[in-house]
Order: sequence, then C-alpha cells, then structure tokens
Amino acid sequence: MITHHPVDATLVAAAAGTLPAPHLRVLAVHLAHCPACAGALRAAEAVGGGLLADLPPAPLRADALDRALARLDDPAPLPEPASVTPAVTLAGLATGRWRRITPWIAMMALSPRDTTDSRLDLIRVRPGAALLSHGHTGLETTCVLQGAFDDGTAQYGVGDFAEGDPALDHQPRALPGETCVCLIATTGALRPHGWFGRMVRPMIGM
Amino acid sequence: MYVAMQPWPACAGAAAPRRPSGPVRVSADDPAHPRLIRAVAERADRQAFATLFAYYAPRVKAYLQRTGSRADQAEELAQEVLLTVWHKAPQYDPARATAAAWVFAIARNRRIDSLRRDRVAPAEPDPTEMPAAPEPADALLAADQQAQRLHAALAGLPADQSEALRLAFFEERSHSEMETALGVPLGTVKSRLRLAMAKLRLALRDDA
Ligand SMILES: [Zn+2]
Repeated sequence: MITHHPVDATLVAAAAGTLPAPHLRVLAVHLAHCPACAGALRAAEAVGGGLLADLPPAPLRADALDRALARLDDPAPLPEPASVTPAVTLAGLATGRWRRITPWIAMMALSPRDTTDSRLDLIRVRPGAALLSHGHTGLETTCVLQGAFDDGTAQYGVGDFAEGDPALDHQPRALPGETCVCLIATTGALRPHGWFGRMVRPMIGM
Repeated sequence: MYVAMQPWPACAGAAAPRRPSGPVRVSADDPAHPRLIRAVAERADRQAFATLFAYYAPRVKAYLQRTGSRADQAEELAQEVLLTVWHKAPQYDPARATAAAWVFAIARNRRIDSLRRDRVAPAEPDPTEMPAAPEPADALLAADQQAQRLHAALAGLPADQSEALRLAFFEERSHSEMETALGVPLGTVKSRLRLAMAKLRLALRDDA
C-alpha cells in the first residue's frame, strides 16, 4: 500500500513546468502506482488553466489571427510526443550499466546533471545495508521500485515517494527482504556526513 | 448559482462573478470551449478555431511573457501553441481536463521545449499526456462547468494563497526563491499551496 505521497508544492511545480525533468521522471513512477496523486496533478493542471484564463490578455500583432489561419493547413509544427510514455518499471528503467560503489551499493546513471543541476540515477542497496548518511544542497526525490527502505523516521515500499529539501538530513537503510532499488533524482550536490560519505562522494560523482 | 455552492466564502473585494449554472455559455468571453475544441476536431471548424484563438492566444502570450519570453518570442510561441490546439484537437479529452487546462499544458510544454533547444537533456515525454477516448456529450458540458466552478473558487481564495499559486505557475522560481519573493518561510509557502489546492480540488469534483 502506498503511504508516502508528494506534497502539493511538488505537484504544483510539476503542473507549472518548473519541476526539473529528473524529478518529473521519479514522480511518473509514483503516479503509475497512485491514482489519487495522478488526479491531484490533473487538478493542479486545471488550476494552471484557470490562472491562464484569468491573465490579462497581452496585445497581439494585428495580423496574428490571419497568420494562424494561413498556417492551419501546414503540417503540425511539432512532432507528436504523445505516444511516448516514460518508463516506470525497474525493467524499463534499468537500461544502463550498474556501477558498484561499495560491496552493498550499486548505482546506474540514467541522465547526467542538466541545466537545472539535476540528475537521475537508480540506486540498488543490499537488504540491511545503510546508504551514506547525507543531506542535500537541493531537492531530492525518490521512488521505490523494488524492496523497501527506512529513512530513520518511516518505511517506504514499492511506489512510495520520498522527498527531501535542503533542511533534511537522513540515513536511509534497506529493509530485509528483496534487494532495494530506487529511482532517485537530485538537484545540487549531496552533502555526505562523516568520513565514509566524504570517501564515497568522489566515487559516485556527486 | 455557483458562488453559493462554494463551501467557503469569497473574499471581500474579490468576490467571484455571478454565473448561471445552466448548460449554456456563461458570458461573451467565456464560451463553451470544450465544444469549440470538439468542433475543430470533428469538422475542422475554422470559425470555432478563430474564437478559441481570440480567447487563448493573447493569454498564452501573456503567460509566456510572464515566464521569461521576449514579446516577439512569446507572439511566435503563442502562434505555435494555437496551431498545436488545431492539430491536437482530436486528442482533447474533456473527461480528463478543462479546455483551459489542456491549452495551458500545451503552452507549458511548448515553453519547456523552447528552453530545452540548447540543453543536453533529451526531451521528456509528458507523463500527464494520454490518448483521448471518445466521450459522451455531457463530458463536454461537465468540463465547462468544472472550469466555471474553478474560476469561482480561484476568485474566492485568500490573497496569500492566490499569490503563492500565481508565483508557482507564472514565475520561473524555485520554492526557496518564492520564499524570498513572498517574504515568508518555505514551510509557509508550501502550506499555502496545500490549503489552496485542497479547496480547488474540492471545487473541481463533479459532485461539487
Ligand atoms: Zn500518491
């Protein structure tokens, strides 16, 4: 059962188009498991529409409508991306190479740091193993694809969505059972704590 | 009447306009947009398109300018957004989105695409975009009524919540920048967004 959901601010950012793409990919995994949040995102888009309708109209060029009408029979201005849906399963996402970070942790880079300083990775943690204790300089979002983890305050299973902001420090630990695999988007750098984190940080390129 | 159906009072000075609850258009500049989109989809109706253009193109241009486009870029992007409305009209699903929400999503995606042209990141598919299924005629009406309820609910929001929403949608800002812009802590911004969305979701429910 899904017990951890994105906050409204995150859904609003997704609807507004200001949530960096890697976080949108993590959110897509949660939405595939959570009809309630999928509905909440549609509601946030409806709000975007309502605010658009309320905007004071900007004056257009005098020939704007004529130009548009003259172009109606041209081919569509953009290729149609509508048939592409983002991968939301472990099998669909894990198309790269696992890199072992420690004997218990492996990572797979899915998209490099973009212009918003955000990146997307898979992380695989052996049951019982702790991830590095860390904080962030920016938003971090995580969705569990397999297994479960405990971040010190709560447990997260498949489909659960975890988000941290710069104020949050945590030490996630994979729960016993299946190997825990998560899709994780990070903006800015991790701030690992302690000697272990400082040692691991250069290895994982964060 | 819509306003009376809202479970919270409208702010003084920001009262929602009175709107009839009947099945027809509610005012000259707020026609039954879902039906116009359907007319474009089914009959390539240029008159319907012209009406949609007159309403949405100036608003899309305003949206694009607010989010950082120069006036000439915004004019050109607004053209492309409305042309996309023409081409994608058969995919509009009134059971999933109000007309304005659908146009907004197209404009938002177009804006993101234009920002990405010089980016290394590959284009992201839109997780909210689904192929539309044929719908009964009352879905068109329901989408229109939903937009009207939303309009009244937006007008009834407390000023601080409505300001947080406008900043989130129309300014290219992170939440920590919103914190600075609104002069309140991040937690307060988030809770304003949460309170606003809770009310607006209620207004969007078909049994609202
Ligand atoms: Zn959810």
